[in-house]
Amino acid sequence: MNISFSRTSQKLIAVTPVLIWLFAMPQTQAYPQFQEFSEKNSGRNVNCAMCHLNGDGPTGDGKGQIGGLTKEELDSLMRARSALAPGTQVDSPILNKFGNEIIKDIGKRKLLELRQNPQDLAKALPAQSDLDQDGISDGQEYMDGTDPLNPEHGDPLKLLLANLNKYRLHVILTFIAVMTLNWGIMQFLKGLEILTRPRQLPKA
Amino acid sequence: MTRDNSSTSKTANTLSFIADRFPLEKMNLEHMLAHKEVPVHKMSWGYYTGGMTMFFFMIQIITGLFLLFYYQPTVSDANLSVEYITKYVSVGGLIRNMHAWSASGMILFAVVHLITAFAMKSFEKPRELTWIMGVLLLIITFTFGFTGYLLPWNQIAVNATKVGLQSVEDIGQYLPGMLHEVPRILRETFQGEASVGQSTLGRFYALHVVLLPLALAGLLGIHLLQVQVHGMSQGVDEKPKKQERFFPVFLFKDLTLWGFLFFILFTLSLCIPFESFLPFPLLAPYDAMGATPPGIKPEWYFFFVYYPLELLPFWVILLASGLIGAVLILTPWIFKGSSRKTLTFIATAVSLYLLIMTLFGEQIYHLLKH
Repeated sequence: MNISFSRTSQKLIAVTPVLIWLFAMPQTQAYPQFQEFSEKNSGRNVNCAMCHLNGDGPTGDGKGQIGGLTKEELDSLMRARSALAPGTQVDSPILNKFGNEIIKDIGKRKLLELRQNPQDLAKALPAQSDLDQDGISDGQEYMDGTDPLNPEHGDPLKLLLANLNKYRLHVILTFIAVMTLNWGIMQFLKGLEILTRPRQLPKA
Repeated sequence: MTRDNSSTSKTANTLSFIADRFPLEKMNLEHMLAHKEVPVHKMSWGYYTGGMTMFFFMIQIITGLFLLFYYQPTVSDANLSVEYITKYVSVGGLIRNMHAWSASGMILFAVVHLITAFAMKSFEKPRELTWIMGVLLLIITFTFGFTGYLLPWNQIAVNATKVGLQSVEDIGQYLPGMLHEVPRILRETFQGEASVGQSTLGRFYALHVVLLPLALAGLLGIHLLQVQVHGMSQGVDEKPKKQERFFPVFLFKDLTLWGFLFFILFTLSLCIPFESFLPFPLLAPYDAMGATPPGIKPEWYFFFVYYPLELLPFWVILLASGLIGAVLILTPWIFKGSSRKTLTFIATAVSLYLLIMTLFGEQIYHLLKH
């Protein structure tokens, strides 16, 4: 018995499981496993603002939360949620730049898998990705529990090494300037001391 | 008649005390600069700690003035203006980091200066007032830290200030009679409204940029005048064999040290943003409707009192703080007859306590609490 489907039916059959999966999911999709791991690994307090727009997560009516999204933003959210494979540029209104970058780099499917092994998220992200350009990769910032979108925030020692390398010319020039100024002040003080030294008049 | 004699004698004693501390005949450049000598011995490094504190104070003034151009002391704009300074103002991030790092440097060296001055018995007659001015300067320096902490108006700033002001009010319950109300009045005066808000920010800002600098400059002027008039204290028990001229030898060494300090401060400010030591959720703008985020604690220089406060009953800390304050002010009379060996022992013990509580206070707290 030959059962044939029209092209439209075939598309519908292919899309149905994805749609069922999408709509069966709870409205809010925060993954606390990653936050918990980052906190535990780094010993720092971390909140949802690492990946989400709102520090309290996607639930609620506030800025960057699902309850406060417009129709266009909800469409963007659905598109971001359907980006199962890596490589799709997404613009989820509940995620920040780092959150969107994760979806683009590894895809939603991989992200869901990683919930079981949140320690592997850093390895799954591109090693050279550094959104805030502070010299510490995004994956490393996730491991360190620091803000991957703030160049002023990172592990202090790693920032020191990265910035020393970045600003070595500034540091060298400052050292030379300080030494030169110091030498100048020394000469000035010596001169002042000579000028103010009490002089003995020659005896007649 | 006897009462008159007693009164005249007291006035004469007071005048004599003041004349000894402010000898007019020594208040000239000749004495304070040309003839001044500094003893050279194993504790000579202690003479530089005051200058280092003053160096950081000068950095505070200069960087603070730059920040004043952009900072907005309103609850709606304070955090945004700080963000603007850091992100968009040319070298704004560097200036802000220098301000934050030098604030810590100033407090660190003020404490080190006090401890070394104690160990070197620099409070001996006629330097009692120099010592008391120094203690007051240290209190003002800590108040600078407390008031400045609120200004960025982020989560940790506002929540830590709330805790600090609440602690002030809590003191009232242990005070007798009319004093009972004083801490509450103080809290209300500084807070300015029911909760920490615009009035608090305005008052802290006024304190931080006008009143405290004026008070500090005035006291520092008297402190420095006393140091120059009376010269450096002997510092060690046996009379030092060597002396060096203050001008230009000691002054040059002091300025060289300032140069190195500036280089270290510049490098640190350029390479390690001060806020990188805090968890990032605490740096978010303060949200009055949001929950208090975990991890709220004061700046590192308050750890020596903060962790004991978390572990021990409030009255114990209050009593200890009152006693320590009284001992600090009365040090020139309490330790008048103590040898420098005894003083060094006490200074070492205090330093160890401060070091341990600052570096390991959190671990000790968790160890004892759980």
